[in-house]
Amino acid sequence: MRVRLFLTLILIFLAGCGPLVATGPVRPDQLQFPPLEFNFPQVEKHQLTNGIRVFLKEDHELPLVDLSVLVAGGDIHDSQQQTGLSSLFAQVLESGGTLAASPAELEAELEAMAANLSVSSSSYSYEIGLSLHQRDLTRGLEILADLLRQPGFDQQRLELAKRKMVEAIRRKNDDPESIAGRLLAKAVYQQHPFGRYPEIAAVESFSREQLLRLHERDFRPANLWFAVSGAVSQAELLALLQEKLGDWQAEEPLVLELSALPPPPAGRVLSADKQIPQTTILLGHPGINKDNPDMFALRVANYILGGGGFNSRMMREVRSNRGLAYSVYSYFQIGRRLPELFIAGSETKAESTLEVVQLMRGLIQQLIDQPVSDAELELAKQSLINSFVFAFTDTHSIVSRKLRLDYFDYPVQYLETYRQKIAAVTVADVQRVARTYLKPDQLQIVLVGDSAEYADDLPQLALPVERVELRDDEGS
Amino acid sequence: MLRNFLIVSLLLGLQLASSAAAQTLVEKVQEHRLENGLTLLLVERHASPTVAAYISFKVGGVDESSQHRGVAHLLEHMLFKGTKTLGTVDYQQEQPLLAEIEEIGQQIDDLKNRPDRDEQELQQLREKLADLQKQHRQLVVKDEFSKIYAENGGVGYNAFTSKDQTTYLINLPANKLELWAAIEADRLQNAVLREFYTEREVVREERRRSYESNPNGKLYETLLATAYQVHPYRNPIIGWDSDIENLTLAETRTFLRNYYSPANMIISLVGDFDSAAALALIKRYFGPLEPGVPVPPVAKKEPAQQGERRVHVNFDAQPQLAIAYHKPTMPHRDDYVFDLLMQVLTEGRTSRLYRALVIDKQLVTSVNAYGAPGSRYDNLMMLSLAPRQDAPVGEIEAALYAELERLKTEPVSAAELEKAKRQILTSSLRRMKGNSGLARMLSSYEVLGGWRYLVDYEEQLNSIRAEELMDVAKRYFTAANRTVASIGREALQ
Repeated sequence: MRVRLFLTLILIFLAGCGPLVATGPVRPDQLQFPPLEFNFPQVEKHQLTNGIRVFLKEDHELPLVDLSVLVAGGDIHDSQQQTGLSSLFAQVLESGGTLAASPAELEAELEAMAANLSVSSSSYSYEIGLSLHQRDLTRGLEILADLLRQPGFDQQRLELAKRKMVEAIRRKNDDPESIAGRLLAKAVYQQHPFGRYPEIAAVESFSREQLLRLHERDFRPANLWFAVSGAVSQAELLALLQEKLGDWQAEEPLVLELSALPPPPAGRVLSADKQIPQTTILLGHPGINKDNPDMFALRVANYILGGGGFNSRMMREVRSNRGLAYSVYSYFQIGRRLPELFIAGSETKAESTLEVVQLMRGLIQQLIDQPVSDAELELAKQSLINSFVFAFTDTHSIVSRKLRLDYFDYPVQYLETYRQKIAAVTVADVQRVARTYLKPDQLQIVLVGDSAEYADDLPQLALPVERVELRDDEGS
Repeated sequence: MLRNFLIVSLLLGLQLASSAAAQTLVEKVQEHRLENGLTLLLVERHASPTVAAYISFKVGGVDESSQHRGVAHLLEHMLFKGTKTLGTVDYQQEQPLLAEIEEIGQQIDDLKNRPDRDEQELQQLREKLADLQKQHRQLVVKDEFSKIYAENGGVGYNAFTSKDQTTYLINLPANKLELWAAIEADRLQNAVLREFYTEREVVREERRRSYESNPNGKLYETLLATAYQVHPYRNPIIGWDSDIENLTLAETRTFLRNYYSPANMIISLVGDFDSAAALALIKRYFGPLEPGVPVPPVAKKEPAQQGERRVHVNFDAQPQLAIAYHKPTMPHRDDYVFDLLMQVLTEGRTSRLYRALVIDKQLVTSVNAYGAPGSRYDNLMMLSLAPRQDAPVGEIEAALYAELERLKTEPVSAAELEKAKRQILTSSLRRMKGNSGLARMLSSYEVLGGWRYLVDYEEQLNSIRAEELMDVAKRYFTAANRTVASIGREALQ
């Protein structure tokens, strides 16, 4: 009896220690974890009688309210001669006051409330943001309604905004990364609005009448989407919105044509000189939009190529193994309507420019030619699936994401099925989408740096080389 | 100091109708000190099933000697390279190769700076190193921390080194908190500084990117090196290029051993966990660490500046201007006054410098004020300006100094003072939203002397009177206390 107990104890002891003796302490990745409890946060959706859509999520942790208004319109509708007009429009909407209050009065009032107002223009919309203390909500909504319905576009503030824009154009060659981005967009999109950048003469010609026309065209109830989060009750918010905006007469929503994209240009090198010791490298070609069912497989493929940070091949080969760069990455800009770009980029000392370009091109080609390993696929999928929960940590971004999904007509169950679609991606899918959507022969290779250090190497790329002269006042 | 950060104490003042919920957040900061000296700050927040985990060390660039500039930052990079179990196929097999790599690497470093070096010998050594590195790579499991965190859903896995502190951070799904504890405790006890010579080159690329090819970085670095002559706040955190390429593995290891210990360590966790369970977890994983000794204070003192300093950098970019005044750091009363002065000067379109320089005189397109480069020691009020084309720098400066003079002679109005206070307090509330932001804030202030600074902040701020702004303006906004730096293709006229 005693002997048996003794033996049992020894066995238990050995069983407990066994793995430790064999492999040392438990590796962190061998720990067991409880399942994660996650429920999709609910967002309320409403529509005012005149068509304005409202998305709301209450959050009473802090006494703040955040409002975003999306207005259909945006840069893509600027004509060639009016490149930059939407952007100017946004700046003067923000700074130009309303018919009820001069710019100075409005600024003084907003700043006394410690409110933040911002207006921006992007490809397919304008966005107005207002962050307020809860106590100022009523007055804040009144100001917002005035901005939407009767903006001031004060002449002096218009002139000031124009001059600031001209100054920004003059500074466009200060930062190598923005130079490279501009040259790439111009190379791929050519005359399309996505490839246009404002010019000084055009900006100087913009008038208040043009801003008013843009306002009249785009600002109407059916074009408006509200996202609201924070310390406000649903009933209070809807009553306030109805009061300030309910009498705004409904009109048909505006339907604007999108300019078609040009055919993709053949691969080439665009080299711009700047007296700096490091070359900014940007590779790119046309990509996809969000309606493409291969989007999920492509996310996985790109994670492996250059999207997965330290877990990507580009980071491993260019940075970690060779010390050639601090940053190296790739991504697909998933166009909301028109397809946008596949982009890969890095920066390296002038002498190693060609080496890094060749490495990046080689890794793109490798993803096309060879299947990825099961381990790489699994890591990419697990990372995308398990980090999904972080899309829902900030209340206002939860609401504004719902708004964008609605505005851009995403499939109804887009978020709910996202993880399953990633989980379904196979090794064969990755290679198939790499073959379909990566196009090494269409790569525009943009180099911004001290080309004297690498000009002699460029013929090795076997591509036409175009030199781009950087001038602060005009052209590129 | 607190501009742009959270003021927890705001929530204690109950002028705000619904601050009760927020107030409980203050009550929710749980502070613990482990027996080995480790400080732990916990905030439970159950809005999303995630946790932000920050580990900060009270050591940064300011604690380096001039022989080791850049070592705090290089060490931060090296601590991503794994441990004796992570990042390696077999550490036993790896060890002799690591020793040989270090030996050859050190020989190269010793030789490369000698004027009488034999280039052929140097070349042979470099080839030998490359060959050893290639062999070593066979034994490395690349970036395994990153891989494990990623497959478990971690995001924002990163670290940063500042003048005052070094911080390692990640956001994880709430069920993976133990994974973090296990990895980080292993990293602190068993770090292996592998792939050192490759990583040193990565840091040189980082320097080229952030400073040598970037006009903002270059101007900032030049201004600091001019405004400070003695205090190590003058040195770039990343080091000068020749510092980086001569940093040794031995120095890096010593820095790790001397400073990365519980005596200098703060853990901040904010998110969805049970505090008692989290405390037990931290004790289990971090309790066994040796206490270590606190980082000694920096003895070097910057002498009072005795005359204006001016410097220009020739750079392939449009002109920019930066102006700095020396000032005391927190918790000096004057530092709170500077928070208000900076607000009055440049925050928003109704601020004094924006109105005068951007709207009325149209000499610049932007003007910003901020405290820099750190807060553990006396620092600077910096002003950054983007001149409009052909705006004479003399006129810009004259207009700017006229506004500073006005602060000395006329008290700011009650409304202007009230606006500045309210703006600071509200923008702080906004910073409190995310788990990561709150964890960062708690960590940062704990490094600077204790997170409770935040609790007293509103009271201090609200007690400041207009006359104090005048008094501080008179004492600090003098030509002798000023450094003016510019950058552009030619010296500014």
